[in-house]
Amino acid sequence: MTLKEFTKELNGNNRVEGELIKAIFYSLFFSFGLFILLYYFKLQYIENFISKYSFYLFFAILSYAIVLPSIRQVRAYKNLTCMSGMMVGMTTGMIAGFLPGFFIGSTNGMLWGSVFGMGIGIFIGVWNGKCCGIMGIMEGLMAGFMGGIMGAMTAVMMINDNLKVAGLIVFLISSVIIFLLNFMIYKETKESERQVKEDYSLIIFISLILTAITIFFMVYGPRSILFG
Amino acid sequence: MKNGFTIFMIVLLVFGLGSFLIRDSGVSNKVDGGNFGSGEIQKVVLNQDRYNYKDAFVEAGKPISLSADSSVTGCLRSVVFNLDGKRYVKYLKTPKDTLELPALSKGIYNFACSMGMGYGKLIVK
Repeated sequence: MTLKEFTKELNGNNRVEGELIKAIFYSLFFSFGLFILLYYFKLQYIENFISKYSFYLFFAILSYAIVLPSIRQVRAYKNLTCMSGMMVGMTTGMIAGFLPGFFIGSTNGMLWGSVFGMGIGIFIGVWNGKCCGIMGIMEGLMAGFMGGIMGAMTAVMMINDNLKVAGLIVFLISSVIIFLLNFMIYKETKESERQVKEDYSLIIFISLILTAITIFFMVYGPRSILFG
Repeated sequence: MKNGFTIFMIVLLVFGLGSFLIRDSGVSNKVDGGNFGSGEIQKVVLNQDRYNYKDAFVEAGKPISLSADSSVTGCLRSVVFNLDGKRYVKYLKTPKDTLELPALSKGIYNFACSMGMGYGKLIVK
């Protein structure tokens, strides 16, 4: 019943849940826009760019688009209960660490995939987790740390075993987890008033930054021996 | 449905750009060795040295046929070379299995096992 209400709320006007789909759209629109711009001016001249990087870059951009709206949803209510805040920190930290770690690990190797994944996972996990204080912050920190390393390690270990198929499966499962996180936040805050109302500039800004860093890292970043 | 148009645009964006980006990416740029002409082929046998490969030596300008003796175990039997953006990979299940590499110019070429755990150097003189 509540899931039905949640899907109805995704089309609503009053709550932040009604803005999640728009947030995904803005993130995708601006990230793809930046990519097209860079591709037109620079990336198309890089040898084998499409065959080497495009698949992983495409899914990295999609990953940011599914993770970032949860920041907006949490910010709208500011404070969550301890248990919910820990789940928020853990889930966002893990997904935001695992997916970039996986996709950078696929092109740059384990060390740099781990470093990249941990960086983004910890940053987003802590940012989201702080809605419930130190416990959420710690959960975000731990999940981002572990997710980043796990993502890169999984990618490197699957290099000769259908890595791209694995990437697709990992992305789909992560999308379901994030959808359920959005639902959980909705359920926990159903009776609460929205605290912060904001436009989409934060989502757009973070999407652009993350996409730019990802492209730069994939193409020009350091890589392990395995990737030449 | 208030968000119907937004969802339609998301699908359009994802499938539009996705089909362009994934179209040419293929499954991988992996090459399971290959036939590099009928010139003199030099055979190289890899050995394991603790957790890495022992350095292997070859001559420049001749195609290479690489195998691994029984000292090479575990993931080190799956050898990965990255040469000019192409990845040469083969699981050398038995000492008879070979990975064919093209003729190389002088230099040191690093290679690794498929899990990135064991490393080695192919020194071309």
